[in-house]
Amino acid sequence: MSSDTKHSETSSKRHIDAFKEVIYSCNRCGQCFDVSWLGTGYNRCPAYKHGIFESYGARGKFNIARALVDGVIEYDADISERVFACTDCRACAAYCFKFLDTVRVFRALKADLAERDLLPTNFGAAVSGDSSLAREHNVYDAPQTERLDWLPKRGQVDVPADTVFFVGCTAAFVRHNMALDTWEILDKVGADFTVLGDEWCCGHPYLEAGRLDRARQVMEHNIEVITALGASKVVFNCPGCLQTFKKDMPELLGYRLPFEAVHIVEQVADLVEAGQFSFEVHLPKAVVTYHDPCPLGRGLGVYDAPRTVLNAVPGLRLVEMPRQREDAYCCGAGGLIRYDYPDSAVESGSDRLREAESTGADTLVSACPACLMHFQQVRNQLRSRLKIVDITALINSHIR
Amino acid sequence: MAGLDIEKRLLNDDEGRSIPTMTELTKRLTDICGPRRVSDRMADRICHTRDCGPSPGGVPAVIVRPQSTEEVAAIVELANELKTSIFVWGRSTTFIGAGIPEGCILMALDLMNEIEAIDFESQVVTVQPGAVWHAVDTELNKHGWELAVAGPGGMFSCTIGGCVAYNAVPHGITEYGMTGDQVVCLEVVLPNGEVINTGSAANVAAGSLAFERYANGPDLAGLFIGACGTLGIITKVTYRIQRIPPAERFLFYAFDDYTKTVDAAQAIQTQSAATFMIGLFGGPNPVGIEGDGFLHIIIRDNPLAAEERRGIAAAICESFGGNPQDWHATKNYWVDHMYSWLRNFPPETYYSHRPYGAPEMAGFIPTPKVKDAIRYLREYKESHEEEFARLDIRIKCYDVYFSRNGAFLWIDTLYPEQDPEAWQYGVNLRATYADDLCNQFMSPGGILQALAPVIMPKLGPGFEFLKFLKAHLDPNYILNPGVLLLQPEETQEAGK
Repeated sequence: MSSDTKHSETSSKRHIDAFKEVIYSCNRCGQCFDVSWLGTGYNRCPAYKHGIFESYGARGKFNIARALVDGVIEYDADISERVFACTDCRACAAYCFKFLDTVRVFRALKADLAERDLLPTNFGAAVSGDSSLAREHNVYDAPQTERLDWLPKRGQVDVPADTVFFVGCTAAFVRHNMALDTWEILDKVGADFTVLGDEWCCGHPYLEAGRLDRARQVMEHNIEVITALGASKVVFNCPGCLQTFKKDMPELLGYRLPFEAVHIVEQVADLVEAGQFSFEVHLPKAVVTYHDPCPLGRGLGVYDAPRTVLNAVPGLRLVEMPRQREDAYCCGAGGLIRYDYPDSAVESGSDRLREAESTGADTLVSACPACLMHFQQVRNQLRSRLKIVDITALINSHIR
Repeated sequence: MAGLDIEKRLLNDDEGRSIPTMTELTKRLTDICGPRRVSDRMADRICHTRDCGPSPGGVPAVIVRPQSTEEVAAIVELANELKTSIFVWGRSTTFIGAGIPEGCILMALDLMNEIEAIDFESQVVTVQPGAVWHAVDTELNKHGWELAVAGPGGMFSCTIGGCVAYNAVPHGITEYGMTGDQVVCLEVVLPNGEVINTGSAANVAAGSLAFERYANGPDLAGLFIGACGTLGIITKVTYRIQRIPPAERFLFYAFDDYTKTVDAAQAIQTQSAATFMIGLFGGPNPVGIEGDGFLHIIIRDNPLAAEERRGIAAAICESFGGNPQDWHATKNYWVDHMYSWLRNFPPETYYSHRPYGAPEMAGFIPTPKVKDAIRYLREYKESHEEEFARLDIRIKCYDVYFSRNGAFLWIDTLYPEQDPEAWQYGVNLRATYADDLCNQFMSPGGILQALAPVIMPKLGPGFEFLKFLKAHLDPNYILNPGVLLLQPEETQEAGK
């Protein structure tokens, strides 16, 4: 998309207008910029860090939103760039002085931009009607028939069970080990579980793109195939998928899900705390640091479970990064910004990787396939010696 | 709307001034700072039209983000050449109305945010102006030190340069004084682009050692503190630091009669018993506490002295009929720096997400006059109750930060910001309060665009002298025009 201003006709009804009260509630205090209680140089917003101008940060986007609802400006390509450069990490909302749900406002902006055909070029193509996402229900341009290629035994597909393991596109298509690790963990803990034969993308990319109707369609499909199996629980290894199910689906569809949705690390942590689970000693002894994935941490408030698990592995010593839990800095993979703003994604990932290195840890653990993949890429670019490990791999290799 | 008309105005200016087109301005600024740190896109400019206050300013022509003193100086020289005004932006966390001129160069300094040196021997820290107050304080805390003033309400976001330029009223003012009191040396870009250092740092031959404010003649730092960027752009601040006191004590008292609260505060002032005292005289009462006035007291010292001062303050409060309350509210406030705790509300319930704006009015008054001011405010509210109710105007606070020998009264009136009638009423109300109080005993602290028309004409020869200084230092009226109304009336329209 050209950076030249591309005014489009203003729709008579805009999503953003419903948020006027929230937008006016921002008092522009600027607490969304920094994690000042850690000292100098700790940014909160990766988009602002890279974009430099306030318009990329939450305060700026609220100023833009206010100018839009006041009729001072209209949507254009510049606004699109600023809105879609957001990693959806919710760091701005975590310490908003007025406790505003910033992400809902940003999503309304995205929906308006989508309706005005103002999506960034690559992301727009990725969620278009003839995209891999539309045809094959994944963003990796892979045939849907290959979704279960990672699975060693086909006998566990679409079997009526208490638990469904929702694999997610990244693990299913490009990080098979993650899918296998999760599958094996569930197997080892004796779960009654199955995987879906016709799992579709959870809908997160459509939500991020403001394509709400398409998001609804895929959500309804997934709910239908899960409920058909009679499952009472769905387990995820992707916190992005989990957040979409647990938080976004009820909001968008207007009803509560007929099943429980949990991250695999929550399930394992429960077993550890109940004393039903223990781990082999990690040899040689290692120092790890944990990166809170944005959807799991700020999105769903799951901070303790991964730490419970890591602290339960003998031989592992967990050291924290300065920005941890609510303050955790986004890895840069959120919001699918890598499509159009890869430099911003890499800068954020690099900053975070350096922060992890500064702890003295030899391993960076996360609990998200997007974080894993992005950190691996950034590590290679930086030629860092830090090991990047998903917590499912660590759990699976240490189950006693 | 003004924002959309800006390109047209700049291209078609018919007043004979050599105002450049935006393209030319942007290109020249890009020559100085490079393309990444200059933007004339509306999406960027629209984010720089107002501070936290209720009054929108103009839309800047271009945003530029220098990273060095040299770049700041070059931008100032360019602005003089092109006769285009500059508005200096830190984080814009004031509540008074920043006064951003239409079509200005908006110079945002928050990329200049490094700590250049911490000198424990001379007990100073030298920082670039865009460093966030609380972040610098946190770095010092790691060594057991702190900035010599606890910082203003916006400390989590506001910059040190901005706090000094506006001489912010900080937490801890009772013992530690104003923000400006602890400034040691400044580096300043003058309106003609020259760079000077103040205090001991002015002595270039001695290596510009920054450790003493009052060296080398007149206190030039004082010229720029509180001048709101009208006389120069602060590009480096050397600030006093101190060891974190080992003991802290907290007291919280409720009084049946607010005048007794003021009497108690005054007595504590004369005994130098408090590090910080905050009086509450309006707005919601602290949760679950009856009273007509409330006093929070914070004492920081070595353990023996802190205990002694606590005893003195407590005895004074009780001698004036004060009823002791749970001081954890006071402690929470001091630790979190969240005002809500003063009224024992957790921040999330107190601030909530109502779209309320706050046209703030604040100023210094002699301590005994606090009684008159509170009486005036309460009577005003009582006589306008119907209007307040109709427009949903609420009183957030009539709070007082007691200084060493006086009081800083802070009036926050809340109004539903999206209601134009309520908005106008709120803005007018502030002007009424300001005029009434400043005609009696008040002198404002941070003077910005909204208060300047009220207070500056009251300064008489002092105002003329300030205008004289401005005319000689900044003959093109480049820096922050409209903030203190220091330029001739015919050029006071924003952006000229």
